[in-house]
Amino acid sequence: MSLGIESAGRCDEPPPPLTAEDRDRSLDRVRVMQARSRRRRWLVVWLLLGPGVLAMLGENDGPSMLSYAASGADYGIGFFVPFIAVTFAAAAVVQEMAMRLAAVTHRGFGELIFQRFGRFWGWTAAADLVVTNLVTLISEIIAIRVGMAFFRIPAPVAVASVLALVVINSLGNRYSRWERVTMGIALFNLIFIPAAILAHPSLGDLGRAVGTWSPLPGGSSQQVLLIVASDIGATVTPWMLFFQQSASVDKGMTPADIRQGRVDTILGAALAALAGIAALVAAAPLFYHHVSASAIQGGTGFAQALRPIVGYAPSVLFSVGLIEAGAVAVLTISASTAYALGESVAGGAHSFNNSWRASPIFHSANLILAAIAGAIVLIPGAPLLDITLNANLLATVLMPATLVFLLMLINDRALMGRHVNRRAANLTAILIAGLVTVAGSAYAIVAALHP
Amino acid sequence: MPALPHHHSRHQINYDPTPAHELIDGLEPDQLVSATSRPLQRMQLPLKVHIGLWTLRIFLLIMTGLIVYTFVYQLP
Repeated sequence: MSLGIESAGRCDEPPPPLTAEDRDRSLDRVRVMQARSRRRRWLVVWLLLGPGVLAMLGENDGPSMLSYAASGADYGIGFFVPFIAVTFAAAAVVQEMAMRLAAVTHRGFGELIFQRFGRFWGWTAAADLVVTNLVTLISEIIAIRVGMAFFRIPAPVAVASVLALVVINSLGNRYSRWERVTMGIALFNLIFIPAAILAHPSLGDLGRAVGTWSPLPGGSSQQVLLIVASDIGATVTPWMLFFQQSASVDKGMTPADIRQGRVDTILGAALAALAGIAALVAAAPLFYHHVSASAIQGGTGFAQALRPIVGYAPSVLFSVGLIEAGAVAVLTISASTAYALGESVAGGAHSFNNSWRASPIFHSANLILAAIAGAIVLIPGAPLLDITLNANLLATVLMPATLVFLLMLINDRALMGRHVNRRAANLTAILIAGLVTVAGSAYAIVAALHP
Repeated sequence: MPALPHHHSRHQINYDPTPAHELIDGLEPDQLVSATSRPLQRMQLPLKVHIGLWTLRIFLLIMTGLIVYTFVYQLP
């Protein structure tokens, strides 16, 4: 793509001025170029891993893991095992588009909506994101609070830990440092896998579920719709698109990196699907002992409900997993808000390569939204459980608007050149947008008619 | 597609006027902050696209309203 700037690097012109942000990004890019020129393919893949893995594992957040666990507790090992895998495949399809947009345009999702569709639609998309992110952040901090409560850590300490994590992780002034630290924390998402193994699932049931998508969920249509819509909202959400695109820009990805960007996205989807299915399997013993998720929600969580059935170790793993899921999501979701606001405000720098002084809007937004969410969680009597249950639903309902902008941008030939979507990708994305719309609105209508 | 003229003053205080060529070569020209700070031209949307976007927005607002209504109704 040509954005009309082609003079950099020519010997007959002075070199372009570089910002601190450019310099740091360039240092990362030089390592990728050196690895590529030496044909060290795995090193190139390793260096370019990040935004996709973080978006996917970040979406395996507190409410998502609770939603998967609720699926396992209410319906056992069956339909929802392959369903979770399919929703992550759908997420990979749309996330790849966000990565491709970033690699070709070098601009964030919010920035592109502002510039190509105008301020009204730009602010509308940013408002959708901020609202859903605030609600989701509240539920992340609730998840951390519930996880820490298992270890008798008081709520104010839990909230203070979250805010300290956000501040400390943004002090590095390097995107690559922020990314690697967050990825290190995100890998603990896989802690749900040993929790699932310790629950001693039936391999026969797992194989039958994957092969036949059965047994199908029974019970009230409203409850099934709630779980289906919630599981979709747990995998395909607006913040993921904003985050992966902006993070890919911050990482400095170019069209030459699209192949590795796809590896990053697919690997992230596979790891997240594994962890999500593991959370479902870990909670499935509750189904076999006829303990409903709705009965657990009034108590102190799945971990404590699982303890008398599967023992102490899986319960501890489940609690640690919840804390980790919430922590990574707080970091990535607040980053997506910061990127979007930084991109929306004219002149606002938006990069982890900048210091707090150089990017005040970016870093402040990163912290302030987390602080507001933390303050709400500490309000005595706040309806925390209801907020958690509705976080994924709100994301599902608002997702179609984001998907429409994504499809219009990725098919914008003036912007994307030869990297526009092919027909199959468009048809798949339209199908995904349709399913998300139907699932979200079906639940919204049914729940409003029978509240 | 050409970018619009530069209107932003972002980052100008931190510019390095004489960067090493290795660093310049590390980034594509349109990847530099000086390039990405220039807004792109606005897309000219046909009327039917405007109508489609507004219809979707109104539909989603109604759905969001239903979610909020259910949330408030179910509060203890």
